[in-house]
Amino acid sequence: GTVTDQANALPLPGVNIVIKGTTTGTTTDFDGNFSISANNGDVVVFSYVGYGSQEIIYTGQQRLNVVLIEDTAQLDEIVLIGYGSTTKQDATGAVEKIGEKEFNQGAIVSPEQLLAGKSAGVRITSGGGDPGGGSEIRIRGGASLSANNSPLIVVDGLPLDQRGVQGVRNQLNAINPNDIEDFVILKDASATAIYGSRASNGVILITTKKGKTNSPFKVEYDLKASVGTVSDYVDVLSADQVRAIALTDSNYNASLLGNANTDWQKHIYQTAVGAIHNVTVSKGYESFNFRANINHTSQQGILTGDLYERNSINLSAVKRLLNNNLKLTLTTKGIIDDNKFADHGAIGAAVGFDPTQAVYNPDGSFFQHVGQNLAFTNPVFTLANNNNRARNQRNITNFNIDYNLPFLEGLKFNLNAGLDYSELSGKQYSPASPNKPGSINYENFYEGLNRNSLLDFYFNYKTKLESINTNMDLTAGHSYQEFYIKSDRRETESSGSLIQRPTIINRNALESYFARASFDFDNKYLLSLSLRRDGSSRFGEDNRWSNFPGVSIGWKMTNEEFLQNSLFSNLKLRAGWGKTGQQEIGQNYGYLGIYSPGRSDASVQFGYVNGVPQFINTLRPEEFDENLKWEETSQYNVALDFGFFNERLTGTVDAYYRETTDLLATIPTAAGSNLSDLLTTNVGSVLSKGIEISLNGALARSTDFNWDLGFNVTFQENKITKLSLGEDPNFFIAQGGISGGVGNNIQLWKEGLDPSTFYVFRQVYDTAGKPIEGAYVDVNGDNQITEADKQAYKKASPDAYMGFTNTLNYKNLDFSFTFRGSFGNYMYDNVASDRGNITTINDAPGQYYVNGHSNVLDTNFKNQNLFSDYYISRADFVKLDNVSLGYLIPGEKVDLRISLTATNLLTLTKFKGLDPEISNGIDNNFYPRPQTFVLGLNFTF
Amino acid sequence: NLDLQPEDNRLTSGAAFDEPGAYKSFLAKLYAGISVSGQEGPAGNPDLTGLDEGFSNYLRLYWSMQELTTDEAIVGWNDGTIKDLHAQTWTSGNEFIRTMYSRIFYQVALTNEFLRQTSDAKLDARGVDASLRSEIQNYRAEARFMRALTYWHAMDLFGNVPFVTEEDPIGAFLPQQIKRADLFTYVESELLAIENDIVAARQNEYGRADQAAVWMLLSKIYLNAEVYTGSPRYSEVITYTTKVIGAGYTIPTNPYYHLFLADNDTNGSQSEVIFPITFDGLHTQSFGGMTFLIHAAVGGSMKPADYGINGGWAGLRTTSALVEQFPGEANSADGRALFYTDGQTKEINNTSTFTQGYAVEKFRNVDVNGVAGSDPTGDIPDTDFPMFRLADAYLMYAEAFVRGGGGSAADAVTYINQLRTRAYTNASGNINQADLTLNFILSERSRELFWEAHRRTDLIRFGQFSDQGIWPWKRNVPQGATTEAFRDLMPLPASDLGINTNLEQNQGY
Repeated sequence: GTVTDQANALPLPGVNIVIKGTTTGTTTDFDGNFSISANNGDVVVFSYVGYGSQEIIYTGQQRLNVVLIEDTAQLDEIVLIGYGSTTKQDATGAVEKIGEKEFNQGAIVSPEQLLAGKSAGVRITSGGGDPGGGSEIRIRGGASLSANNSPLIVVDGLPLDQRGVQGVRNQLNAINPNDIEDFVILKDASATAIYGSRASNGVILITTKKGKTNSPFKVEYDLKASVGTVSDYVDVLSADQVRAIALTDSNYNASLLGNANTDWQKHIYQTAVGAIHNVTVSKGYESFNFRANINHTSQQGILTGDLYERNSINLSAVKRLLNNNLKLTLTTKGIIDDNKFADHGAIGAAVGFDPTQAVYNPDGSFFQHVGQNLAFTNPVFTLANNNNRARNQRNITNFNIDYNLPFLEGLKFNLNAGLDYSELSGKQYSPASPNKPGSINYENFYEGLNRNSLLDFYFNYKTKLESINTNMDLTAGHSYQEFYIKSDRRETESSGSLIQRPTIINRNALESYFARASFDFDNKYLLSLSLRRDGSSRFGEDNRWSNFPGVSIGWKMTNEEFLQNSLFSNLKLRAGWGKTGQQEIGQNYGYLGIYSPGRSDASVQFGYVNGVPQFINTLRPEEFDENLKWEETSQYNVALDFGFFNERLTGTVDAYYRETTDLLATIPTAAGSNLSDLLTTNVGSVLSKGIEISLNGALARSTDFNWDLGFNVTFQENKITKLSLGEDPNFFIAQGGISGGVGNNIQLWKEGLDPSTFYVFRQVYDTAGKPIEGAYVDVNGDNQITEADKQAYKKASPDAYMGFTNTLNYKNLDFSFTFRGSFGNYMYDNVASDRGNITTINDAPGQYYVNGHSNVLDTNFKNQNLFSDYYISRADFVKLDNVSLGYLIPGEKVDLRISLTATNLLTLTKFKGLDPEISNGIDNNFYPRPQTFVLGLNFTF
Repeated sequence: NLDLQPEDNRLTSGAAFDEPGAYKSFLAKLYAGISVSGQEGPAGNPDLTGLDEGFSNYLRLYWSMQELTTDEAIVGWNDGTIKDLHAQTWTSGNEFIRTMYSRIFYQVALTNEFLRQTSDAKLDARGVDASLRSEIQNYRAEARFMRALTYWHAMDLFGNVPFVTEEDPIGAFLPQQIKRADLFTYVESELLAIENDIVAARQNEYGRADQAAVWMLLSKIYLNAEVYTGSPRYSEVITYTTKVIGAGYTIPTNPYYHLFLADNDTNGSQSEVIFPITFDGLHTQSFGGMTFLIHAAVGGSMKPADYGINGGWAGLRTTSALVEQFPGEANSADGRALFYTDGQTKEINNTSTFTQGYAVEKFRNVDVNGVAGSDPTGDIPDTDFPMFRLADAYLMYAEAFVRGGGGSAADAVTYINQLRTRAYTNASGNINQADLTLNFILSERSRELFWEAHRRTDLIRFGQFSDQGIWPWKRNVPQGATTEAFRDLMPLPASDLGINTNLEQNQGY
């Protein structure tokens, strides 16, 4: 017979077919055909991942033509939950699985971009437009202040180092997006507590693709070719406008201006070309399957000279032994990550460089402000001559043994050994500054090694307690993980010679015991308890260990009598609580008083020997807090999962309340009490709460036409509830460094406020609505404007954010698009505040002029007014992030899918700066996100 | 294994002192605490992290407190609240005042730790041999001197401050506050206690403190004792300046400006220097200290090469008030009037514009022959900062005499005339006893010692800093205006008050 897909009537290869209750089985071939011998009355089961299975009783048919229906939200779908798995219907925590079908399309280099806008409570903000650049991932807004706010990422069972690895733009690039089967996001503490000390910011479990049992040999070639262009420039003055302002200078010197009209920003950006090639082969036998992928990625940045390249190979093999009771899984990835880093300083230099000057002198050399050491270097020169290349070679290997122990039905042993090893080698060269006579070329040869090794095991026992009609699932295990980081550097010192710097080594380790017990009473009431006990080498013996419990309950209401045959196909109420920790503070010996030797260029002279000055290297005791301990986060979660119309419309509403206490924060220490001004210690607390709603619907389901949509929205609120040991309600810590003078901050941490709140003067405006320079609200009424008149005002984090995805299929044509939105967030336009004034333009600290922000034409500000709230504006936005159109051409031997994708297509916002989506809320020489068009070709042989 | 310890060149306190040289290295850090900002030159691995590393340098901050707040210096930059220093409109949130305070208490904590690590019990436990032990006793005296110096700055700038000694632990505790007068007693007792332990005057290695430095600091605190405690101690000023003067230092025959050149440790000028803060273009690198003082003062049409540097930072100038201290102003016969006027206006209409206000070309990174210092890139100068020098001792002696502390009028006049003879290169500027008034001494101190971080303390001692005394841009108005008397003391930083509940803010803030 033949098995086809209901959606498009295409044959389905690799469908598993077994005679129920036997080991007899087969799979469909490439054309969906199969043959199997069966007896009358046998039940033939057809199953295929992502589709509802079908059982057909064999009654002597010659052909069995079976149509499988794609399942949008299977309740019995397996969901990983960390050291084990559950099903979607039995999950009691806030756990969301995002599979391949939901991923964003396009030339995606960094795996986290697959997820942007797809999950409620998860905000993914790319750091800018650099190729292969990383993103800030925040689940429920982040639970800490100074410590790490990124989720723990676990790849095939191996937790990655939250600090990343050296010399790469984004450590997740080691995972080829093409290899990812799915992401499971653990959001609430009852779900994450099993990861204990690293779980306060949520956990993302990444599963990579493996071959399928009994599947035909398959070869797939996938190409994504892309072009990206700069979508917007900073609004700067034209050459004539600069000339006009320069004329107003009391020391006006016409000879300092040129005759050109150069738009410097146009000279530093390029059309970025990229290509991603993936060749994948896979094959599955009865007891062995494998998958191999070779990837080559090359992505230029729009900043000239920026380049990211990845060559990787990913192998996975699964072997089943002992009658399927022993499963060995090996996954190994080899990645060579090559970066050429363009000097980002060129972005600011292009904004500020005098537009009356030409890029080149008449003799072909670069124009420079020779002798003006504070002037910008010609950004075209910088991009052409600075060179910084790094290669990171990395291997991530995981070996897993899963063994069903023979002596007790339902008991299994799972062992996981993982290694993430990388070596970095880089070379940086900067030519002598053309503006500074006497300066020298700088070279820097750097090397690094990161090693993250893991060994964990657990026992799992699943049984049914018939007497009380309860399914029980027990897990207990142990884990040890060690991180080792080493760096070396040889660089030019000021004498001009190369010097080998001392090796820097950091090692830290975590040891853990964990256990979980889950019960399903009467297929209605769920209870799950978990406990992890973690020890960290970062704390002293007395504070080293801590316990992280989690508990959650669920009520499968649709299994109750009173909801039978209702319009609900699923209704489940869940609630949970858990305690998680944090120890990722960057430093390893914060509890131990250590001594750091000083370098020879920071030594002091003690006398002479024979007239030669003698320099003594210093030895410095470091600040420490011997009572340093875990930061603890306590989180409550209540949720409702629902499904209507046989799961055609499904959704979840989650509400959470999270409090972090004993915050690991770097805060001012009482003067005299320690060996620095700031100390990382346990102080204060933060509170966050929010509601997450997600809805998924299958609007249309038919043979020819399908329409799915997914919508999610998150409302959130974060605030600091305590910040110091003292009681002063006005105590605050300045945050958010800005350009336009050293030591300036635009944000603050203060009790009662969001940690991204701005701290500014309230601008006074004239009757025409123009800001009056230097006129601010005298808040304390002392008739002068001092720092005491600054006020907390607005914040950078959103009140709400949302994602909206549509996927449409008509026959072989598919179309999808994704909108993302953010609301209630504000931005500070630091380019305008720094450069939008006359003094900046015509009173440079030397004999030259510079360009300013066109905003000066609106304000006529003479001087910088950095702290005016005039520069803070609403930055709500809706972005059309991703639009993709695809067409599948089925063939005899080859299927070809052609797709066209556009990313970063449209931004609706009132914010006037470059981009309303900058994670810290400060727009300052931001690397613009390119607008990209992608042609995709996928051949399946 | 969760008991992990450093594996690179960092050491636990247990292991650090296995190496006998560690004690001297730690002592070097106490001196480096004034000159550099961290463990890497010119920046990197900073001591303090609350402010940009270059700005957090001790000498740069102390200089800013003492000079930017007065008529001698003004800065044009937009760095944080830096302009509030000259305007005298600072609040307890001022980050430069805060970082000065942090720097002071960092230095105190460092010296306390040194004294803890060199206690007899520790040395016994480590089995330190006798010869190293006697070395370490010298180091301990110097550590206590460095702590006294810093506590003097604390007492002078902030008055009533947190007080910690080697008896306190390191950790998250809240130090107690000490009254200014009690701190005076402590600093005095410390200095008297080490007076005879420390290496004799002019016998220690260059760059390290000796007995004359102790006498000099005693003279400083006694001269200002009335401000600090309400009780004058001028006779002690005579006692200790006399000891300094008798220790063998001389006013060199070199021109005055040689004192501030790259080779000022060898060109002869060093015969006057009692306690320098040493700098070196290759070995003692910082963006504070001399790097700041030389680069920030160069701008406009000044040629950086004339100052031995690769470029100016166009920030620091002076006001007309200092210029007018010199007869003939910028063209004075007094060789100490080291002003650069080409393209500069004397008056200031816009504080941000470097060319308004005369530039000061006192400190340079060239030697007596005009050759630039050792850093080939022209970033970091070799010039040492003369924190204590004989001229100051002479002026203190003269002032204490006029204020009734005893001593000899003839000596006072002779001392002053030594300075003026060097300044005028002949006797034409000499004074006689009738000229020796308090006003003359305040002006003469400014002429001799301007930009050497004495001015604020001097103005306060003479009652001319806040509610008396006017100079351009004081109170942020072009012609200047008086400010409130409470500004004679700096505020304790709001951040420390927010943490340390034992502290009470200075009056007025």
